[in-house]
Amino acid sequence: MVERGDPAGTIKVVDPSPLNWLYITYNTVEELVRAAPDGTIEPAAMETYRWKDEGRTLEVDVREGNRFPDGEPLTAHSVERAFDEVMLWASPHPPGTQFNFAPGTTLEVTGEHGVRFRFPEPDGQALGKLRAMHVMSTPFWEGPGFGYERQGSGEGHW
Amino acid sequence: MAVTQMDPFAATWLQREDRTSKVRLTANPDYWDKDRGPRLREVVLRNDLTPEEALDLVCTTEGEVDVVTEVSPADAEKVENSEHAELVSTEAIFTVAGVINRDAEGLPLADRRARLALNLAVDRERLVRETMFGRATPLAGLTPPAAVPEEGRLKPHSHDPGRAAELWNEARSETGGGERPLRVAALGGLEDVARAVAADLEGALSVGVEVVVYRGEEELPVRRRLAEKKLAQGWDVLILGHGAQFAESVVAELHRAFAGATGEFRAGPAVPEFESLFAELAAKTAPPEQAEVSQRIDRLVRDESLALSLCAPRALYAVNKHVDFTPYRTSFEFAETSVDDGHWSRR
Repeated sequence: MVERGDPAGTIKVVDPSPLNWLYITYNTVEELVRAAPDGTIEPAAMETYRWKDEGRTLEVDVREGNRFPDGEPLTAHSVERAFDEVMLWASPHPPGTQFNFAPGTTLEVTGEHGVRFRFPEPDGQALGKLRAMHVMSTPFWEGPGFGYERQGSGEGHW
Repeated sequence: MAVTQMDPFAATWLQREDRTSKVRLTANPDYWDKDRGPRLREVVLRNDLTPEEALDLVCTTEGEVDVVTEVSPADAEKVENSEHAELVSTEAIFTVAGVINRDAEGLPLADRRARLALNLAVDRERLVRETMFGRATPLAGLTPPAAVPEEGRLKPHSHDPGRAAELWNEARSETGGGERPLRVAALGGLEDVARAVAADLEGALSVGVEVVVYRGEEELPVRRRLAEKKLAQGWDVLILGHGAQFAESVVAELHRAFAGATGEFRAGPAVPEFESLFAELAAKTAPPEQAEVSQRIDRLVRDESLALSLCAPRALYAVNKHVDFTPYRTSFEFAETSVDDGHWSRR
């Protein structure tokens, strides 16, 4: 089996799951967190995090040296852009609004690799919600976006 | 999209699929996490085959199909006995359960005793054995066992048809109703489950039970009507499957969906005790505290019978024998998947 090194081989897959669109996203897009094979949350573009203010503030260190496939660096500004984009929409996520951040949630860039979320109320589910906030490079947002070019709206397309 | 609640705004999307015949994913060799992957150069998702055709091809050929997801438990043995494929499975964070319509006219389902009677009437061990071919685990509440450590797992309701009959008759005599047949509905591929549940209810409660199965395009209006909660539902118990994105978010996704104020599957009034616990959970950020409150919520769902708890099926995959595939409990990802030198794409 190929353990490390250059990717090798092709597989053909048939996935009738109604969540196939989501799995394609998870296989191609970076988020601050992802699911491990056992289903638990683990860091992805996020290096570490800290809760503060009894769940009202979440500080995230963004992994250094990470780049999008087009070569653009993935920094705190990429995370800020993803946050600004997702907050444009009332119901961006097809599974439902349970993945929304509460209205009034803010994000500030604290450094090239640091962001701080502030929630109007404690949000213990916020780490999981970060997986629904897909972090993309600038040409994506300026081009197709999540339904922007094709549908003229990001509602339900994240 | 169906709006489930206006204040605060909550909604769920009702989707139709429009797939191209193939989707090609190409590896990003510069991805930062080299230990994880990608180990494959390319993944081609084929949408030009039915699941039946795909299963046949992965079992009997090489080079046509390497991985088929959502293998039915009824087909698992065929894969195990095949020349070219092996069965890969994992304990999925996925629940098969019944929505209990607590607003049902003519039945006492607003009464906890009647709902508990439904849960006691079902023989989960037999359900797992006969409809899931043993490839599932009985549920206690709504939390799939794979989402919690063994010591944190609740005990499922016992199978006690005698006690179920007593409770059903008590609820019926005090609150009225129960003269008409009970209507058990199911979505998608859960007809066998619905029929097994119906037989158990009929036998234990001495009631007539009708079974209705919504397939394909019929599912969407049923889901919409349930999510919107403006019109009466056409069933008393609706059996469906639902999963979570993370082990840590099971309550936010499963329990909220079935019983929460914003729940797209809730059929009946919101439950103040549930909402209070759900708010308590939202304020917790430490994993042990989240787990403790999550267990209390699952216990409330079990003890109040806010759903008909059934089983957690394993996720089953048919995989070509030259493919080393890592199954995920909540997702379907290829980063760790690799192929050996004998695979058709590397010969």
